[in-house]
Amino acid sequence: MSLKKRFTAGGAFSYVYLTLLCILAVFPLVWLVVSAFKSSGEMLANPTKILPMDWTLENFETVLFTLRFTVNIKNSLIIALATTLVATVISALAAYGIIRFFPKLGNVMTKILITSYMFPSIMLVIPYAVVMRNIHLTNTRTGLVLVYMSFSVPYAVWMLVGFFKTVPIGIEEAARIDGANRIQVFTRVVLPLVRPGLVSTAIYVFINAWNEFLYAMLLVSSSSKTTLSVAVRTLEGADILNWGSMMAASAIVVLPSIFFFILIQNKLAGGLTEGSVK
Amino acid sequence: MPHHLKGRTSIQGSSLTRWFFVGPAMLVVICLLIYPLCTTVLYSFTDKTMIRADFNFTGFENYTRILTDPDFWSSFANSLVWTIFGVLGQLAIGFTGALCLNRIKSPVMRNVFRITAIIPWAFPSIATAMVWKWLLNGIYGFVPVSLRNLGITEGLAQFFSTPELVMPTLIFINIWFGFPLIMVNVYAALQTIPQDQYEAAQIDGASAWQSFIHVTVPHIRTVVGLLVVMRTVWIFNNFDLIYMITGGGPAGASSTMPIYIYDTGWTGRMVGRASTASVLLLLFLVILCVLYFRVITRWEKEDDK
Amino acid sequence: MKKLTIAALMLLLSLSLVFANGSAESAQAADGELNGTITFWHSFTQGKRMEAVQAAADQFMQMHPGVTINIETMAWGDFNTKWNAGLTTGDLPDMSTAQNTGEVAEMLNVGVLRSVDTVIDAIGRDRFSANALGDMTVDGEVYGIPYYSHAQVMWYREDLLDAAGLDVPQTWDEFYDAAVALTKDGVYGAAVSLSPNDLLGTRYLNYYVRSAGGSLLNDDLTANLTSPEAIEGIKFWVDVYKNCSPAETINYTVNDHATLYYQGITAFDFNSGFQIDGVRNNRPDLLPYVSCAMLPRMNADDPLYSAEATHIPLVIWQNSEHPEICEAFIEFLYEEDNYTDFLSAVPVGMLPSISGISETEAYRSNEIVQDFAEEEAIIAEAIELGSAIGFEHGPSAQAGLLANQGIIEEMFQDIIMNGTPVEEAAAAAEAELNEIFEAMVQ
Repeated sequence: MSLKKRFTAGGAFSYVYLTLLCILAVFPLVWLVVSAFKSSGEMLANPTKILPMDWTLENFETVLFTLRFTVNIKNSLIIALATTLVATVISALAAYGIIRFFPKLGNVMTKILITSYMFPSIMLVIPYAVVMRNIHLTNTRTGLVLVYMSFSVPYAVWMLVGFFKTVPIGIEEAARIDGANRIQVFTRVVLPLVRPGLVSTAIYVFINAWNEFLYAMLLVSSSSKTTLSVAVRTLEGADILNWGSMMAASAIVVLPSIFFFILIQNKLAGGLTEGSVK
Repeated sequence: MPHHLKGRTSIQGSSLTRWFFVGPAMLVVICLLIYPLCTTVLYSFTDKTMIRADFNFTGFENYTRILTDPDFWSSFANSLVWTIFGVLGQLAIGFTGALCLNRIKSPVMRNVFRITAIIPWAFPSIATAMVWKWLLNGIYGFVPVSLRNLGITEGLAQFFSTPELVMPTLIFINIWFGFPLIMVNVYAALQTIPQDQYEAAQIDGASAWQSFIHVTVPHIRTVVGLLVVMRTVWIFNNFDLIYMITGGGPAGASSTMPIYIYDTGWTGRMVGRASTASVLLLLFLVILCVLYFRVITRWEKEDDK
Repeated sequence: MKKLTIAALMLLLSLSLVFANGSAESAQAADGELNGTITFWHSFTQGKRMEAVQAAADQFMQMHPGVTINIETMAWGDFNTKWNAGLTTGDLPDMSTAQNTGEVAEMLNVGVLRSVDTVIDAIGRDRFSANALGDMTVDGEVYGIPYYSHAQVMWYREDLLDAAGLDVPQTWDEFYDAAVALTKDGVYGAAVSLSPNDLLGTRYLNYYVRSAGGSLLNDDLTANLTSPEAIEGIKFWVDVYKNCSPAETINYTVNDHATLYYQGITAFDFNSGFQIDGVRNNRPDLLPYVSCAMLPRMNADDPLYSAEATHIPLVIWQNSEHPEICEAFIEFLYEEDNYTDFLSAVPVGMLPSISGISETEAYRSNEIVQDFAEEEAIIAEAIELGSAIGFEHGPSAQAGLLANQGIIEEMFQDIIMNGTPVEEAAAAAEAELNEIFEAMVQ
């Protein structure tokens, strides 16, 4: 009886609304992945047919082996991993430093970080291009990793400040009395306490670096060093437009990103609600 | 901020250790954000081009040229439309989605809905562009062909080549991409509202609408306000989606400020003029954010009372 | 455990930085043996052409163990932006292709190329078309080597024309009528693609203006979009767009555009012999019906003309530290076997730029070359008669800028989308082009 009562009109509407929303959210993904398995003839002959008649791996073969996307996958991985590691280390230090040592300045610092979020990348990319030339990092993965700090660090600091705030100062003082120095306290006491936050921040940074497009397009020209996103884009400029390989290549970019997103889905809201910006 | 943390949170450290912690991040901010900002401002007063190393100072010439360029103003207008409708749309869908999610009693279903709905958020812009370009292709796209087969449109709908449709289409794609962020954050904020406040409101005889206005809204408005700021900035600055889907066309109908800057600086090679447009764009955003933050700070103060 | 994690993190970090750094080595040329690394940019993104170039490079590196050739491919549309940005970022190749002779003129305008006379003499100066070399000559020195050649002709579908009882159009009016008649049942007469990221609008307008004996440039190398024939040409293509083209092509680039014909969606198209390979890859069933003719004229009794012939050049960049490797490699590319292999990647699409190739048995043995001998002859004639867009006044950077700034395409879009009067839009675009000429030409 009570179970039935729960099913109010509002509840029913919620189900319908969310179902529709989810269909809309997931349909492009389904379309993309399923199309990647269609043969090129089928793709255009039946534009409204969702499932392929014959499942084929030919598009993935073309993309991975003929077009050598394995190289781009490797590049994207190296760049995203290096960005994640460097940015997480820098940001963890900064977030902790802001909270513990610069309580007043901290407010200003977070504001600076938020302001930097406003800088359009299309503005930053021209000075970056000039500087990269002067320090001989044009067209290198190192250069791109460096540039990626510009958006990774501010965001990661912002997220991490929220997590570090939850560490009670008493624990640290106890460790200090036991003779640990500041850095030991940080690495042995504080970091383990915020590990879940650290992990989700790192994953978030990874996803953003993995998905980045503009800098990768404009600052790296070698096809042997370009990232996956840019490589997919060049397919559009290829001599012959092949939607099959474009969908297969897109699937290769999108699936890892979705996987990691689902991994951290319950942490996604962390930063804002835990009051990190206050 | 939870109450038990409101006490002392800082400690004195030796100055060297302090800088060890914040130094690297400050270096990032100075080298990667402040320095480029200064160069951009500098370039904005010069005739620098992509193809020549030397340049001359030209005073405010770039500024007068840009501010009298009708393309700049139409891009600015497009940017406003793109941002306002994008933010409002994401907010409307995300907010209602979160409210509905909050009403789902079954924890399993709630998770299913939540996880499915965040998928667009994980889409890299290149994949978003590719899949929607194809779904909406005016010759053999799934959507136009389906609409015609169902008898809803007479011919094939032209989402990317009808000037009245191209912006709404792009905004739709942007809402699709961005609503999950709002939904997830608002939902998390809704979870923090103590249940007893609703019960108290109910005892006082408040209607569902009244308790929404008097209990829900005050609790989540700061989060929503911050989300609006973040989304405004992000959408205003977004380059990838439009660049990859329409490139700003047809006839500049979907050209926004970042596209205008790209066309001027990279395609047109006029770095000086592109820098000027960037400075103007940033200035506009800063003013906007100052206004936003005033409102949010006031809300925060009210909350703390 | 924690230490282990940190150590692992550090290791990964340093590894990725090492990986990220892999470049920058140099070498000395000693005792005549080639030694060093060169970077070669080209825009042959399609599988077979890319593979042919790679295979040649691999073979060359095997013959010269001290040599490394890094090949970078980039999309056609990004190429111009890329090297222009390279002037600022310093990221430039040792050798590259160029999109056409017009782009070589642009590169010369900023002084980034090295003369290639030694290579041309080594291959045989008299084997090249004097026109093609002339287009890339400044002060008696040649700066580009034609790698392959092609020209714009009109493609049609015999089956569709036959079914409608139509003849192959000779004039623009006949073409228009036929295109309108064939626009039905999911087929479009002809696509007019106008993305500002490409040059198709300029190309189409140039056909029309050239067929009327005019030019898009004046003798003083200023733009001319307001001549009577230009105005008439703009109106003509706007009509074709409105009545025969899928609406969406207003934002299409050359690849999106050509794909429509490859897939049997358009009945007519204007392009070079690349159409054959495209159709073969997309709709082999349509291949027997694919054929071409010279571009339409104003009147049927006008003499034949060719509006646009393109020689895709190879160039060596001024900043190269190893021009001798570039020269040796280019010579290698023109060796008969390598050259024939490369051309056969897109048979009839890429025609030889040197004499003595098209007669060889290896070249002739290709099935497509045999099946499309007639079409090849037509294209070869169009190559002979034509030059690059705007080169009727000799090579100039203006000619290059005319095509790759997207101004003419924006003008078309403005007329179609906003209903701007043709004369007004043409005058505005003309003024904009002249302003760019002034700012960019040194």
